[in-house]
Amino acid sequence: MQKGSNAVMGHKKIWAMLLSMTLLISLLSGCGGSSDKAAENGSTGSEASANLNMEGFPIVKEPITLTMMGQDVGMQNWQDMEFFKQMQEKTGIKFDFRNAPLDSFDTKRNLVFASGDYPDVFFSGQLKAADEVNYGGQGVLIPLEGLIDKYAPNLKKILDEHPDIRKSITTPDGHIYALPNIDLDAGWYRGPLWYNGKFLKALGIDKVPSTTEELYTYLKRVKDEDPNGNGKKDEIPFVSVKLDDVRMWLLGSWGIFNEQIYADREDKVHYTPMEPGYKQYLTFLNRLWNDGLLDKETFSQTDEQKKAKGKNNQVALFADYHAYFTLGGDPSQDDPMYAPVKSEVVGSPVAAKHPGLVRGVFAITNKNKHPEATMRWVDYLYSTEGADLISSGPEGVLWKYTNKADFTKEKLEVPGGKDREEYRATLTPDYGVVLPKVSNEDTKRGFEDDFARWLKKETSEKIDPISKVPFPSVYLSQDEQSEASAKLSDLDTYVKQMEAKFVTGQEPLSNWDKYIETCKKMGGERVAEIYQAAYDRWKQG
Amino acid sequence: MAAVAVKESRGDKIFVILNYIYLSIALLIVLYPVLYIISASISDPKYVNSGEMWLLPKGITFEGYVRVFENSKIWSGYGNTILYTTVGTLVNLFVTLPAAYSLSRSDFVGRGFFMGMFMVTMFFGGGLVPGYLLVKNLGMINSMWALILPGAASVWNIIVARTFFQSTIPKELQEAAHIDGCTNMRLFIKIVLPLSAPIIAVMALFYGVGHWNSYFSALIYLNEESKYPLQMILRQILVLQEMSAETTGAAINASVASALNNKADAASLLKYAVIIVSTLPVVAVYPFLQRYFVQGVMIGSVKG
Repeated sequence: MQKGSNAVMGHKKIWAMLLSMTLLISLLSGCGGSSDKAAENGSTGSEASANLNMEGFPIVKEPITLTMMGQDVGMQNWQDMEFFKQMQEKTGIKFDFRNAPLDSFDTKRNLVFASGDYPDVFFSGQLKAADEVNYGGQGVLIPLEGLIDKYAPNLKKILDEHPDIRKSITTPDGHIYALPNIDLDAGWYRGPLWYNGKFLKALGIDKVPSTTEELYTYLKRVKDEDPNGNGKKDEIPFVSVKLDDVRMWLLGSWGIFNEQIYADREDKVHYTPMEPGYKQYLTFLNRLWNDGLLDKETFSQTDEQKKAKGKNNQVALFADYHAYFTLGGDPSQDDPMYAPVKSEVVGSPVAAKHPGLVRGVFAITNKNKHPEATMRWVDYLYSTEGADLISSGPEGVLWKYTNKADFTKEKLEVPGGKDREEYRATLTPDYGVVLPKVSNEDTKRGFEDDFARWLKKETSEKIDPISKVPFPSVYLSQDEQSEASAKLSDLDTYVKQMEAKFVTGQEPLSNWDKYIETCKKMGGERVAEIYQAAYDRWKQG
Repeated sequence: MAAVAVKESRGDKIFVILNYIYLSIALLIVLYPVLYIISASISDPKYVNSGEMWLLPKGITFEGYVRVFENSKIWSGYGNTILYTTVGTLVNLFVTLPAAYSLSRSDFVGRGFFMGMFMVTMFFGGGLVPGYLLVKNLGMINSMWALILPGAASVWNIIVARTFFQSTIPKELQEAAHIDGCTNMRLFIKIVLPLSAPIIAVMALFYGVGHWNSYFSALIYLNEESKYPLQMILRQILVLQEMSAETTGAAINASVASALNNKADAASLLKYAVIIVSTLPVVAVYPFLQRYFVQGVMIGSVKG
């Protein structure tokens, strides 16, 4: 059967071969011509801009239609979403969608790039830094900084107020090729660790552990004292999925900000798996493993299986975005957030802070005849009003302003009593994908319930005082990028393998020196150097 | 059966027993996954995920099926898949059978050359991007023809059908028909095809299942969700489940996280029910076509 379907492809292949030759030729010629094209595009505005209103809405005098490619999560067709309908009404810009499903978006995007059949606008779907540099350099993506200055007052204001963001989205050739998602009120880098509140209560603990020793003692007690009270020792004190979910938070105890590359407070860049603190982290986990405190299925289970254990009330400490995702039930303030614990390392603990932006979520290609209008369109999403529209759907459906002046909002009843999030997902594409927009205190005002306020308090008490952005978003040059990627892909495999072996004791920690030796041979130090150089460039702006 | 002429020897008996044991094990191996999926589809996902449900359903719930039947996407996907499979299979047969028959005729001039050219395409291909460009230039992007025409002829299947024609349609039949004044066209339609029910059924099944299960060309060539076949919808449901907030690794905010979490919950409920609903038709059709695999319709068609 498999063979059969392979052969199905057969017939077209001769043609395809001929075509590939044509493609090669057209690609070659395409490369040569592209820079002119880009330059042309910057100035073709004249005809288009006659149609453009410089301020206010609609953006264009005569309606225009552009093509857009985005990530589809399968909740609602984009052309039927209220967000796009209202935007079309407001701006006069209509979009034809050429979406691809979220999970295979990258495949499809690479295909349209390679075949030259790309849309006017990429919306959502994080372009890799390398893609920005690459397709930007070829002229497929047009430079946006000039357009931002002229046509994007909201975004320009944000960039002017936050020069770090501008630095982070400017590629090494000095151009901005893609716009970011900006979160000025960002919290954690990824879901924190949580204590199971019921266990704490059962063991009569009112203060969460603050040192590695206290943490160990607590986990040990969980194992021995049956805090879930079912008479069986079925508690799994510390549960994780392949350590990916917990590594970053634990490393903070030994002064390490992130799991691969981070800059310390003295601007020195480190490659984490070769740090002494990393060894101490392995030692600690190995101890937990040997004493049965770390889930024995850590290296084999899926997130679902982890959640199943949580819902079974078996786990004491785990990572998730919210504790109730794992433990089940409603949002609860009874499960305290894990505060990174202190070790003997000076200056510990530390934690990672969200950099506040996700790059590459919006780009304009050289096929777009109306880059100015497009820029004005997207700029609206960087205003609080526009961000509210895309984040929550149109006013009057799920929410309304109670005070338009400071953007205070209140939630309305969900029509038909449906699930709020699922209903929202039919109104706006902002569901499960990252879009160009701004989030700040204004966009959240009025939506925060008690739970959200409690989360914020926990974060500000436990994480904020010790956190910093582990590494800014930087661009590597193409050479640096290919060298770093090649080295890191080998290193990652080796390091992850060794991590599991060290933790489970398959490889004794006495072999640490040998491990460091191998890392060196594989270029671990060189990787740190590359990122150090990029960091220094970024630092200077 | 009662009158067994030769008594089974000891060795025979052992052989038979071992045979039964072996077959039972083989049966268990293929049956278990099927049972597991059926049970999982009506069990509470909590038990499925924790591994407590391993054979019989636990915490029986039909919520998964309810959700499937409520989900308009699955139905539109179903409709599309049936359309693509039907039209696609007809096109496949329309192309494959005549091609295979011509190539089976020893009096076909240039047979070796054409066969050779066909074979070349089995080993050399243009690749993804040229394929995409071809389809694009033919104006078939985002239409069902992009899923049907590029794969209309499978060389592998042509060879299978050719071999069938060669070995089961005797040359004498063709000669006899010619003597009676039958044209080649008529020979093919009136004599060869009616005698070839098994290969038509087999080809229909091969192609049909291929269309039913394919998603890659849909992924590449279709842009609108309303045109997605069932497998794309299914894949979307299954893959999204893997992308829980923790595993994406990307920086996300609270609403995205809870969205992904909800999606994962819904997906673990839906997953197995969708698998059942989407494979049922193929499973149901199979027994009816399967008899053609074993039936020898040619017996007695040539006398003397």
